[in-house]
Amino acid sequence: MERPIIKPIGTPTEELDTPSLIVDGDVLNENIETMASFFRDRPQKLRPLVSSHRSPTIAHKQIRAGGTVEGIAVTTLSQAEVFIASGFTDVYIANLVVTKAKIARLCALTKQATVTVAVDSHANVNDLNDDAARKDTTIRVIIYVSAGDGLFGVDSDQEAVDLASTITNASNLELAGITGGEAVNDILGAKRTIEAAGIPVYSVTINGEADYKQVGMMEDVTEVLAGSYALMDHSRRELFPEFKCAGRIMSTVTSRPEAGYMITDAGQKSIGADTGFPSIDNLPESSVKGLSAEHGSIYFSQSKHCNPQLGDKVWCTPHDIATCVNLHDYMFIVSDGTLEAIWDVPARGRYR
Amino acid sequence: MDAYIPQVGTHISDLETPCLIVELDALENNFKVVAETYKNTNCKMREHTKNTKSPLLAKLQMSFGGTNEGVCTAKVAEAEIMVQGGVTDILIPNQVVTLDKIERVCALAKQGDLKLCVDSIQNVETISQVASKEGVQIGLLIEVDTAMGRAGVRSPDQGVSIAKAIDQLDGVSFRGVMSHQNVEEDKTPEGRYLRAKETIDICLAVKDAIEAAGYPVEIVSTGETFCYDIAANIPGVTEVEGGSYALMSTSYSYLTEFQIAGKVLGTVVSKPTPQTAIGDIGSLSLAAPAGIIPTFDGDDVQVDSIHDDHIVLRTKDNNLNVGDHFKLLPGHQDMLVNRWDKYVAVRNDIVEEVWDIPGRGCYH
Repeated sequence: MERPIIKPIGTPTEELDTPSLIVDGDVLNENIETMASFFRDRPQKLRPLVSSHRSPTIAHKQIRAGGTVEGIAVTTLSQAEVFIASGFTDVYIANLVVTKAKIARLCALTKQATVTVAVDSHANVNDLNDDAARKDTTIRVIIYVSAGDGLFGVDSDQEAVDLASTITNASNLELAGITGGEAVNDILGAKRTIEAAGIPVYSVTINGEADYKQVGMMEDVTEVLAGSYALMDHSRRELFPEFKCAGRIMSTVTSRPEAGYMITDAGQKSIGADTGFPSIDNLPESSVKGLSAEHGSIYFSQSKHCNPQLGDKVWCTPHDIATCVNLHDYMFIVSDGTLEAIWDVPARGRYR
Repeated sequence: MDAYIPQVGTHISDLETPCLIVELDALENNFKVVAETYKNTNCKMREHTKNTKSPLLAKLQMSFGGTNEGVCTAKVAEAEIMVQGGVTDILIPNQVVTLDKIERVCALAKQGDLKLCVDSIQNVETISQVASKEGVQIGLLIEVDTAMGRAGVRSPDQGVSIAKAIDQLDGVSFRGVMSHQNVEEDKTPEGRYLRAKETIDICLAVKDAIEAAGYPVEIVSTGETFCYDIAANIPGVTEVEGGSYALMSTSYSYLTEFQIAGKVLGTVVSKPTPQTAIGDIGSLSLAAPAGIIPTFDGDDVQVDSIHDDHIVLRTKDNNLNVGDHFKLLPGHQDMLVNRWDKYVAVRNDIVEEVWDIPGRGCYH
């Protein structure tokens, strides 16, 4: 568990303990409004993918802003448990749930909320139906179409039709719709084939993390999954200039061993470097030489205007926000340079 | 966080996944290797607990032997966890520069022997001011840069002037020197010896200069897992800061006397082709910094790619089916444990204990 010094609301941001995940509350609100306004007057709706922030508080803001299906998407069963406990009533688990123990947990959740899970095999559909029948409940399932990327999913229209047919014949399952990886045309093709076989497909859920606008304007698409827009990150900022980086790590200079070179107190453990290095936002011509577990080694252009001292703050925008958020138990929300609120991150570490 | 605490006696095939497991036979083997290595040396192990993040595991190594009964922590928050766990001899081989954190260190110094590492006179002065005000004594070691190009003094002269400053100020005591290095390409015993000797000699040169200036050096704290056996026998070194050795990872496969104890247990959730299995372990739970790919624990299966919540496995002979369990070996142990809240400790595939990881996330 993180052990930051918790300082009073109103504390100037740069006096907060480091390294901490600092969220600019105003930028967060703007990002949420920008996305909501895109979907508000469209037939296609947003389903916020909350695994990229793991915060029920942010998820509630996303739903309240409008333009959504009034439901969320998570990536694991144990994240669904957290968000349902936080009041969400429509949760899509964008993953497969295959083992006995997990199917039993899934059935328990269906008594608290509308829960939908992805499927890609007859065996899994049968297992889900058997346990749902025993528990006298109904599980909503969504057929996952392979993107041809070697990950899971059905590989052909015929497989999709066969699976849809098994689902509609199952006593305790409901076919909610169709989804898949990045091959949108394959998903839409499978949908048409299933409908041609006389089985209605109510929803088409497409991951919009790569391009929410394009998929959000496609005729047959009903739901678009997106989540990283809320806090944004370095890997996506150029692709989506309409969103600004709201979630950043504030770190402290702990050593100045050489001119134009500094060591900070934030490394891979608090920023995450699984997909790449962070960008340094408040130093001119800076570059990350390396990130150790607990240290950042940073070059910058030293001048009489820029000569940070021990204790000064350095702002790092993580390369991937989902990785970074998953390392923290707290988000410090700031506005106009002071601490406004502290939110916990209850879905951190919920892999199971 | 996920407080998954399965019943003691559960077979691992009944565990929910993904799950961080510790194989106790391997862990105990690793603790014994260290106890044996340091049995008759003056130099002792000061375990770096940033790796296991658990006072319970630190005390387990102490009970096996080979240690000086002290530990290292990378951060002040980790030091608080160790003091709460009953470990009172603590070295933080890192710089603590802000007033709020130095005050935390001073609070801890009322309960134990707290030592920090410094590389500037400015930092020494700040620590001295706070420690004097709080009426405590903080031990200081001078960090020496030997190879990493990270923090640390760059010359013996710098070391001497900082030692002199420490000696003249209240609230701080000069205790010694510290360095941290990494192993390079050559991981043979000869290669490790040359690398350890070459780098640690730089640290010892600072020690010699400080002693020649009239300030006795009590502690030379250096070394890490890659040279745990070598540093112990370099005259002048008083303690070695090993950490990764306890749970181990594939990156230390050249140290064959240790075994990998920390593994992630996963389940196959889909089988798109006879030779492809999709597992429920991804980079979020495993920590997969670029270039460090986990390894399948067993023959005939390769890790093909890793995604946020999934891993793609390639099998030669169709031997993995949906629902099957498998284990992955981490490439980097410290980062892996930082993503978890519990250790499920197993022996012969049966759960023996479930341990907290209180140092997880202690970055402050």
